[in-house]
Amino acid sequence: MSAFLLADKAPASAPHAPTTLAGVASLSLILERATAELQTVLGSLRDNRAALEAATLDRLQQTSDKLRQVTSTTEGAATDILDALERAGALVDDLEAAERTSEPARAQAARDQLRDEIFSMMGALQFQDITTQQLAHAAALLAETEARLVQIARLFDPAATIVQAALGGPDPRTFDPGATTLDSGRRQALADAIFA
Amino acid sequence: MRRIVVNSLQRVGFTDTIEAGDGQEALERFDASVGLVITDWNMPNMTGPEFATALRERGARVPILMVTARSAREDIIEALQAGVNNYIVKPFTPQVLKEKIDALLAAEG
Repeated sequence: MSAFLLADKAPASAPHAPTTLAGVASLSLILERATAELQTVLGSLRDNRAALEAATLDRLQQTSDKLRQVTSTTEGAATDILDALERAGALVDDLEAAERTSEPARAQAARDQLRDEIFSMMGALQFQDITTQQLAHAAALLAETEARLVQIARLFDPAATIVQAALGGPDPRTFDPGATTLDSGRRQALADAIFA
Repeated sequence: MRRIVVNSLQRVGFTDTIEAGDGQEALERFDASVGLVITDWNMPNMTGPEFATALRERGARVPILMVTARSAREDIIEALQAGVNNYIVKPFTPQVLKEKIDALLAAEG
């Protein structure tokens, strides 16, 4: 009688599976490494989100403050001009009355005051110069915010094509970030003290 | 703003004025006949302090009055160091403009 040895051989077409202990350990290591990398990416996302918030919220808050200043400046100037127009209207009435009653001195006084009111209205129009600078500052803040957002976006996808607004920020030489119509007396007093 | 300044100057008796759009143009248009310079700070191409510095470097001793919205201490000092002789903060009244001009011209004799 002959002994036959039969070898256990897998069919050629079946897929190779990690059925050994070494294969399981290797898979465990891969999963561990993937977890660590995912945690690093999540951490990086959290940091970038914080950076994003820091980059944008502060600048957007400043922009919002600037725009509120523009509104307040414009409102103040409009009120001054309206008040001056009302006084001018009253002076025209006074002038007419003085001319009707032939009071040349009173008429002259009314004309002088009327001229003063007209010039005060012209002076109030200086608000336009101030608000132009305030708006330029707001535009500069927005341009800065845009640049930071683009930088952060490129961290996520360096190859991405990012379309930036063509306008860019205004020339910083053309505006004063602190431009205001408020407190001109105190500000002039400081200038006078320095130039004394 | 230039129209407001010119109007204010006319209001207080100064009618012979030369205007320039920025510091660079002012430098080009400046000549020995100018008795007083009034400049803003924030201008394209050349700021007010840069213009004042350039004018002084040319040897011009004409009084310079700066009219500007800038009122931070360091800005005022920068203007002083650039050769500006007096400083008006916006918004200003024609009366303040006249006082400053009269004082500068009186100092010139």
